[in-house]
Amino acid sequence: MTTISRRAFLASAAAASASTLFPTSLLAASKDLVVGTWGGTFGDLLKENVDKPILTPAGYNVLQEISGPVPRRTKLISERLQRKGSMDAALLADFDMHAAAKVGALYELDTSNVPNTANILPFLKKKNSVPLIYSAHAIVYRKDLIKTPPASIAELWNPKYKGKIGLSDFLYTTNMAYAAVGNGGKLTDMDAAKKGVEAWKELDVKLLPSTEAVGNALASGDIWMTIISAARGYSWNKKGTDLGWVVSEEGAFPAVYEAAVPKNARNPEAGFAYMNALLTPSAQKAFAERLGYLPTVSNGSISPELEKQIGFTEAEQNRLWIPDLDFIMENQSSMLDTWNRVLKG
Amino acid sequence: MAKLVFPANFLVLILLGVPMLLMARYSLNEYDPLYLMKEAFTFENYARAVVDTYYQKILLTTIVVALSCTVLTTLLAYGPAYWLARMESSWKSKLTILTMFPLLVGGVVRSAGYIALLSTDGLINASLQGLGIISKPLQLLYTPGAVIFATVGIVLPYMILTLASVIESIPRQVEDAGANLGAHPATVFYRILLPLSLPGLLAGASLVFILCMNAYATPLLIGGPQFQMMAPVVYEQFARTSNWPFGAALAFILLIFTIVLTTAGSYMISKKYTGD
Repeated sequence: MTTISRRAFLASAAAASASTLFPTSLLAASKDLVVGTWGGTFGDLLKENVDKPILTPAGYNVLQEISGPVPRRTKLISERLQRKGSMDAALLADFDMHAAAKVGALYELDTSNVPNTANILPFLKKKNSVPLIYSAHAIVYRKDLIKTPPASIAELWNPKYKGKIGLSDFLYTTNMAYAAVGNGGKLTDMDAAKKGVEAWKELDVKLLPSTEAVGNALASGDIWMTIISAARGYSWNKKGTDLGWVVSEEGAFPAVYEAAVPKNARNPEAGFAYMNALLTPSAQKAFAERLGYLPTVSNGSISPELEKQIGFTEAEQNRLWIPDLDFIMENQSSMLDTWNRVLKG
Repeated sequence: MAKLVFPANFLVLILLGVPMLLMARYSLNEYDPLYLMKEAFTFENYARAVVDTYYQKILLTTIVVALSCTVLTTLLAYGPAYWLARMESSWKSKLTILTMFPLLVGGVVRSAGYIALLSTDGLINASLQGLGIISKPLQLLYTPGAVIFATVGIVLPYMILTLASVIESIPRQVEDAGANLGAHPATVFYRILLPLSLPGLLAGASLVFILCMNAYATPLLIGGPQFQMMAPVVYEQFARTSNWPFGAALAFILLIFTIVLTTAGSYMISKKYTGD
């Protein structure tokens, strides 16, 4: 395979990082810590529960570099040949982080540089990243409108819900995994996935532009059922929408968000300190209480009441799918293409 | 004297020319899911976009929406522009500022306003339901009509201000002369005002057409995920799949169509009314 030349890569990286390179270089000092992350509630939660209580007292000046996940992944990949990158820590979904790890852009993380990795739940352990939070993309439904919980994935194609199923356009990877399994295939069966998406079109599925739009549509009764993280179901429930969620008999797509330190971080020690801070029980508890995502560490205890609301039984946990991250990385572009052609074409 | 333009030209070259050259080069590369792209020299990305009916349809939608918005904006703007241009009271400057006022608010914020107006629980539906005219909310948001409505609202000030400045420079006496010679007001408009205001009309229409062809926030927020126009699709290739080569090729196709259609439109209209 002919990969892109060094010169072209440098040009690419320069274009990709132009907006952040200069501010970062101007601001960079020994204790500055640049974190590539999502903004909004999530960014605020990091500030309140990780930056202020843990890293600021340790002398770090945390700067959030807010962007979408794909541009962040692109930066990690395109900047990896530069001597200094624009981030000291980066947060991404597991399948996006996988691509960055695959090209060798990330440090290895273990107890020598991040002591709290010792507490990571075994099934979430990775060589180049730490798990920040996890949940599952489950079937979330309006309990007051659907009296019998949709136990099977087949309910997502039940004609009686025509026009009442809504899907997030952003979660096309998850939605296509559901479509593949729900139409007789395995997670990687793209023909079955296409069949499922076509059947959704026949059922007048509502395609919604953002997670917030899904929440609003559920609240207004525009849609009765969707595929979204159980954590979202929990937080919308808290806001007053009568929602339930199920890990179907056929399983559910895990939602794992991770953090990592780029090999070309300006301040890798700060990056490691950030990883450690993310795994502290207090931060993990805050993520659970505010977002409804489960702790990723064995010492991140939450109250039994909360555990009951956001947790999964052992049987449910065992039903969670194990996605082939290499397959997703290789096929994400064609998956989006199929998704768009069927539902938007 | 020519040296005076050098700094501006140099800036354009650096800030616009170099990135575009870089993008042109990227458009000839091949996509690679792991390394983002592989160095190549292929027109495959362009061929794929041009031959594929899916992208043809998106380009066609973009052109139809841009043309519809341009025609509607022109029709809606001419009257207010004429009125503003011919106004002699002290209100003129205030109304000019008022016309410009929407431009001070970003497109995303204005689109959010349209969402509040058009959504199922928005102002229009709530009012109609409150008055008992409808029992179920109408689907106003996420429709092509909503995109055209919102886009026209956004580009209207550009057309009004461009037209008004040109109409202002047309001596009022030429209209009076036409009327004195017995011409009907419609004839005065068609035979005198319209040809003389043609430069403003062409400039305004070109500006509006270019803005509409490249509209991003409005189609995305008002049209919803199922309404596809070129600019959001270009962005999607960069931001959702990291397919820079194909995204760059789509961007150049949009650029080429915008330039060709704007130039051809200006030429045809100019030819029809002035015979030049």
